[in-house]
Amino acid sequence: MMRKIIALCMSIGVLFTSVATQATQAEDIKSFTLDNGMKIMVLEDSSIPNANMYLFWKVGSRNEVPGITGISHFFEHMMFNGAKKYGPKMFDRTMEAAGGANNAYTTENITVYTDWFPANALETMFDLEADRIANLDINEKMVESERGVVASERTTGLENSNWRTLQEEIKGAAFRAHPYSWSVIGHESDIAAWTLDDLVQYHKTYYAPNNAVVVIAGDVKLNEVKALANKYFAPIPAQAPPREVKTVEPLQKGERRVYVQKASVSTPNVMLAYHVPATTSDDYYALDLLSSILTTGNSSRLYQGLVEKQVAIEVETYMPMSFDPNLFYVMGVANPGITALELEKGMIAEVNRIAREGVSQQELEKVKNIKLMDFYRAMETINGKANTVGTYELYFGSYDKLFNAPEAYNKVTPADVQRVAQTYLRRANRTVAVLAATEESDE
Amino acid sequence: MKHFINHIPQKLSRLASVFVVASAVGLAGCAATQQSVSVDTGSFKMPAYEHYQLDNGLSVYLMPQKEVPLITVNAVVRVGAVNDTTSGVAGMTAQSLLLGANGQSKSDIEQMVDFLGASIGAQAGKEGSYIGADFMAKDIDKMLPLVRDLLVSPDFDANEFDKLRQREMAGLAQAKESPRNVIGRYFDKLVFGLHPYGNPSSGTRTSLEELNVSQLRAFHKSYYQPSNSSIAIVGDFDPAVMKTKLASLFGTWSNGEAVQAPMLAKQQPTLDKSRVLLVNKGDAIETTFLIGGKGVARDNPDYVGLQVVNTILGGRFTSWLNDELRVNAGLTYGARSGFTPYSKGGVFRISTFTKSETTKEAIDLALKTYARLWEKGIDQATLDSAKAYVKGQFPPKFETSGQMAELLSDMYLYGFDDAFINDFQKNVDGLTLADTQRLISTHFPQDKLQYVLIGNAAKIAGVAAQYGEVTQVEIDAIGFGQ
Repeated sequence: MMRKIIALCMSIGVLFTSVATQATQAEDIKSFTLDNGMKIMVLEDSSIPNANMYLFWKVGSRNEVPGITGISHFFEHMMFNGAKKYGPKMFDRTMEAAGGANNAYTTENITVYTDWFPANALETMFDLEADRIANLDINEKMVESERGVVASERTTGLENSNWRTLQEEIKGAAFRAHPYSWSVIGHESDIAAWTLDDLVQYHKTYYAPNNAVVVIAGDVKLNEVKALANKYFAPIPAQAPPREVKTVEPLQKGERRVYVQKASVSTPNVMLAYHVPATTSDDYYALDLLSSILTTGNSSRLYQGLVEKQVAIEVETYMPMSFDPNLFYVMGVANPGITALELEKGMIAEVNRIAREGVSQQELEKVKNIKLMDFYRAMETINGKANTVGTYELYFGSYDKLFNAPEAYNKVTPADVQRVAQTYLRRANRTVAVLAATEESDE
Repeated sequence: MKHFINHIPQKLSRLASVFVVASAVGLAGCAATQQSVSVDTGSFKMPAYEHYQLDNGLSVYLMPQKEVPLITVNAVVRVGAVNDTTSGVAGMTAQSLLLGANGQSKSDIEQMVDFLGASIGAQAGKEGSYIGADFMAKDIDKMLPLVRDLLVSPDFDANEFDKLRQREMAGLAQAKESPRNVIGRYFDKLVFGLHPYGNPSSGTRTSLEELNVSQLRAFHKSYYQPSNSSIAIVGDFDPAVMKTKLASLFGTWSNGEAVQAPMLAKQQPTLDKSRVLLVNKGDAIETTFLIGGKGVARDNPDYVGLQVVNTILGGRFTSWLNDELRVNAGLTYGARSGFTPYSKGGVFRISTFTKSETTKEAIDLALKTYARLWEKGIDQATLDSAKAYVKGQFPPKFETSGQMAELLSDMYLYGFDDAFINDFQKNVDGLTLADTQRLISTHFPQDKLQYVLIGNAAKIAGVAAQYGEVTQVEIDAIGFGQ
């Protein structure tokens, strides 16, 4: 749900192993798979007396269909509302009384549950998680009160975030077939309409151990984790694999446009969204570096071309990691006196300049250095480690890719960046969304 | 997200990250006579560090950390919005440090910093002005001299300043598109009025218009002095080598006229009645609100105990406020409370949001839940749980070089020492039920509460009037309510 968290996952891309460091290495990560198909990865780190457990479930808004949009995220909420051993409210109460805290996030592709706790509460965490995976109690009363919470989450996102408002509209226009068409939080009417049966079925299908990857990082020992995983998680039966998502978004054949009116918007906001391939594509790294070239740091292309020139007060790009082909977003906020159209033209001109003229070797080296810093920052905390390792395992098929990323990024040349800009950041492949207080007139 | 961690961002309230930790859960059914149980959350101590002063009075903190090959530098000057003569001068002075220095233009600096993959930032809060950088350890001899130049001899280039100011003014209008971004500024103004703690660090659109680089230069000269500053360096370095570098880079920085400190303890307004600031946002679909009053200063000996009590009221997911407003009633996505401490005072606030139609229901429920502090008090099982939670969530707040550099800067600014870290568990464990009662009656504002409501006035003005004397402003009006 929260874009910032996804952006964090996205930004922790790289490790340049050539740099001598005490940061985490591939061999520090141990993994094993239970008979029921649940994969568990362990990263021992005793720098603080704490640990994390991250449960990555391969379910997100991508797995939904019209009528139940938003159910993956709603389900995330329901996972805290009571199971067999730990009834209503007891998941949080038990965890907090042991010194732990938790949260969760849902994206288009995955749902991730996060537990942060003093390391000696590890067994309590296993017990709590196993209970809700195996025996979640989905009841009417809880569903009804949680609908209000999710409706409030939806409202407060639209109230406080222009990005959220624009993204919801732009996805609807850019995708007409694939489930990336709707926002992760779902359509308002669907939030009001889920049935208990929908939820029960969803839980059985997607919260099966064979559909999960668990990462535990912190002041723990591999043997201890193995013993607890065998005791608590291994008895949970595997289920038939979920149905595959087979829809392929048809090729976009021309520019699409959407407009959103909101009276309190002080200056126009413009968002561009271009179709790009899935994260497993060879072009991922070049596109990721291109994103940084456009907006990371004040020396970036869009900052120099628009903010410094007082056309925009803010510019941003975002490309989520993604199982299926998704979107590359570019967003700008106009400087007062600048129209939406002027801002849009300015943004497109900078993007097109890369397609036309390419980037310099120095620019490319710069963003590779930025990626390296991002990686170290992520590896500075047990939280960053757990999240990064799991994210790579899911989106690239193996956490090894985290440690191969340096080579992959290093191989990218200026010609590659220019080629991906030419291939994907084209007019016909673009959707434009404008948010403003009033729509510009035809006259 | 299941819930927000901090749904009211406090960009400039740096201590908030330390303090808002606390919160609570209510195991309401447990008897008050239950035996106290202490949960062992492991041992956590302040890592080794050195603290010394250069001859010119600059305070230096050095803490080696080797986990990743990075270094964070955080310099803080004891000056902030409380020193503003024109609103926003401290904030704009801090931000303008980055506009060029010592023969390097803004553009030169940005090219260099970005190329190293490094980052650098500057901002002012209420009482401190900060410049911070993080970078790869190998780049220390490029980045440390840069930090020195920016801090000690900024150019305050007039053209660049005009552009920055224009962007900031536009940014102020844009910030008001998100009630969550600005509601804290309205609240401080409501509570502190003309007292310096009411000053928004951001300034206002009209005050920024008045500013010029001469004012920035004068402000810099008056306050940016070594005897009024500290520098904290945390990360992958050798302390002996670092000391030599610091002596050579900062040793020649000289002091000017004595710094004038504002008398912040004095003339804080008395809150003699309940007041409501209603901020009209005509297209609002929900009401965002804060309820509260005066809080405590950072050096209050009850600071840690208050984190525990606040954990129970509104500092964690199972807190009374979140449990009632979100879990039981489904009125909101999150409800919290917390103290924001300054050096000579502070605020306490309950914060949440709900759709326009349920504004009254949510405010009433928040007030009723808050009143439980006095009506029922806290039981032993709830206190034990809150203590475990506060202890268990403490170490991850001090895990990175950036977090440690910030902690060291705060130690300088607010005058506390590493006993805050080292005695934290002991102080939490020692808290008794009787202590919590004393903390509640002493520090939580019980009446004459202050309210800020941002929402659609046409829908909620009648509700607002039920809680005190109402002042109504338009959200796009310049400033933050007075």
